[in-house]
Amino acid sequence: MRKTLISGFAIGLALALTGCGGGSQSSTATSSASAPAGTAAKSKVFGASGNVHARLLETGSSLIYPLMNLWVPDYQKAHSGVQITTQSTGSGTGISQAISGVAQIGASDAYMSDSQMASQKMLNIPLAISAQQVNYNLPGLNDVHLNLSGPVLAAIYSGKILYWDDAQIKAVNKQYASKLPHKAIVPIHRSDGSGDTFIFTQYLSFSTPSWKSGPGYGTTISWPAVSNGVGAHGNPGMVQSCQNTPYCVAYIGVSFLSQTNAAHLGYAALQNRDGKFVLPTPQTISAAASALVAKTPKDQRISLIYAPGPNSYPIINYEYAIVNPAQSNAQVSAALVDFLKWTVTRGNGSQYLGQVHFLPLPSGVKSLSLAQIGQIK
Amino acid sequence: MTTGLPYLQRRPAQFLFRYGFGAAALITALLMVLMLVFLVVFAFPAIKFNGWNILTGITWNIGNQYGSGVVTHNGVSAQPGASFGGLVFIFGTIITSALAMVLGVPISILVALALVYRIPRRIKPLANAAVELMAGVPSVVYGLWGLVVLVPWIGQRFGPFVTGHVGKLPVFGGEPGSGNGLLASGVILAIMVIPIMVATMRDVILAQSSSIFEASMALGSTSWQAVIRAVIPSVRSGMMASVLVALGRALGETMAVLMVSGAAVNQFPSNIFQAVNTIAAVIVSQLDSALTDASGMAQRSLAELAVVLFLITLIVNSIARAILHGADRVRESR
Repeated sequence: MRKTLISGFAIGLALALTGCGGGSQSSTATSSASAPAGTAAKSKVFGASGNVHARLLETGSSLIYPLMNLWVPDYQKAHSGVQITTQSTGSGTGISQAISGVAQIGASDAYMSDSQMASQKMLNIPLAISAQQVNYNLPGLNDVHLNLSGPVLAAIYSGKILYWDDAQIKAVNKQYASKLPHKAIVPIHRSDGSGDTFIFTQYLSFSTPSWKSGPGYGTTISWPAVSNGVGAHGNPGMVQSCQNTPYCVAYIGVSFLSQTNAAHLGYAALQNRDGKFVLPTPQTISAAASALVAKTPKDQRISLIYAPGPNSYPIINYEYAIVNPAQSNAQVSAALVDFLKWTVTRGNGSQYLGQVHFLPLPSGVKSLSLAQIGQIK
Repeated sequence: MTTGLPYLQRRPAQFLFRYGFGAAALITALLMVLMLVFLVVFAFPAIKFNGWNILTGITWNIGNQYGSGVVTHNGVSAQPGASFGGLVFIFGTIITSALAMVLGVPISILVALALVYRIPRRIKPLANAAVELMAGVPSVVYGLWGLVVLVPWIGQRFGPFVTGHVGKLPVFGGEPGSGNGLLASGVILAIMVIPIMVATMRDVILAQSSSIFEASMALGSTSWQAVIRAVIPSVRSGMMASVLVALGRALGETMAVLMVSGAAVNQFPSNIFQAVNTIAAVIVSQLDSALTDASGMAQRSLAELAVVLFLITLIVNSIARAILHGADRVRESR
């Protein structure tokens, strides 16, 4: 009863939000009736006749949404019997609707917590790897990459470092020390629940003990009071605010790289666990991912933040599909299994991931994902 | 008086009018009561957990979702570290709406009077259409304009200009901030409610006062005296009603405020340029994370905030009505 009430309330609110045109988007890709001849042999579930045999609803993370919209049309070209609807609602909504059964796939940037898993066991299946940039708008310095570390960022976001020419910032940017202005830093954080907040605050927690025991990490945290601090809504809001606010610092998902470049924001080289400052590049993101492949447990709920290795970029994460292993309908579960397998194999090709600056799963992780997909009944 | 079935057969239209319309009117009232009851029931564990903290607390923290264990208070549990203090949002809701009214009401009265008495007849239909069009623009459009135009202007020009001139003066001095904040929220809300107030005030003036205005003019007043001494007193309660509708809209506005407020948590603005937050905006922005709270307390506390917003609207309305009532009585007793 309690659960029904909660989810009922949640859905009601979610509907209300969609109604007021907040940030929710939704699209349904329906494939044409004629399936390519080659798939006709694929039989019962994916029906070559063109009849829809299974409908899947994917909802959640706004970071995965653009990728889903690249995947789904291509997948449906070959599987006309499956109709997949994609929605961008937010990771928390994705998780809760996957649990309540409204959606078959809940897309999330964050893995589920132990306490959530204790109340409802779900599969957390990585589909791809994402990363995050730390951006700034420092007139005259946006074309160079400043060095920033976890402790420095933690001090900025808790109001202990107030100006760009602070000694701690100068200490890690000796070559630009004279150019750093005496201007108040405006730290911008996400006001909505966000996987980006989750991984950014994990970086601060893992690198800075005082942050770990203080604000901690989560998709929303209780931000320390910083009089100049500002909250922005969604990644587009972060880009907009940082562009409009000279001397800001912000954390923005790497899939918004083209937007941050267009806004002429600078992005930092971040200090990793080995003490090296590294930029987010395919090489440094891959290096961080490979460093943690061996540690990824069978249920794949693991943070990739602050990976060891001299070349590892410190803020990367798995993008998850949250799926209930016990589906109610055999056709739905067959379609779900096939689609998810496709996303981590063919869907991990660079023609898809490259467009959103995601990286493919390392092969060891891919087989763990496939093993989890195999548990869907 | 005939009632019941025979009455229905003889005069179906009359029957429908008497009972059907009454039932429809009842349904709206019932829906409102049901919604409040549902919210209170859903929020009840949060009411127990939070106590007065929801009204007096400053720290809003949904708790460590990835930690272990729970905190229990009055027999209900939340994630460790949870604290649902709503004072920052309550303050923000009231201060942004108050600012919107301070900016919006005088302008609206002047515009409504101008529309009735001053605008040349030829362009009147155009001006009226513009007001009605503005009243119908979705709030997200105003929010977007605020984010792209107003916020950078406040952050880069107006804010530094003002703080640069007044120095450490409270309310206006100090750090100019980023442009997202109290002033931006108040201005956006004012722009949103002005068309609503203008449209209703104009109708009120038109409906009640043309004869009063003309009579006053005939007795030798200037048009200014006619408006101030005769027209405005005669339409005061209608204007107040229009202000109340606008205030209700401002208190509950969500999207536009969310986009320009700077979404403050755990702190009050120290001047008009710094970040604020409102109850409606915080419900939207915190909901997605609240959904991941295994204890459910974050969702219930958001529902409790919704109840608080409901009550604020109710209280503000009652106070305004009482003031109006009192003023009327004073006037009558003169």
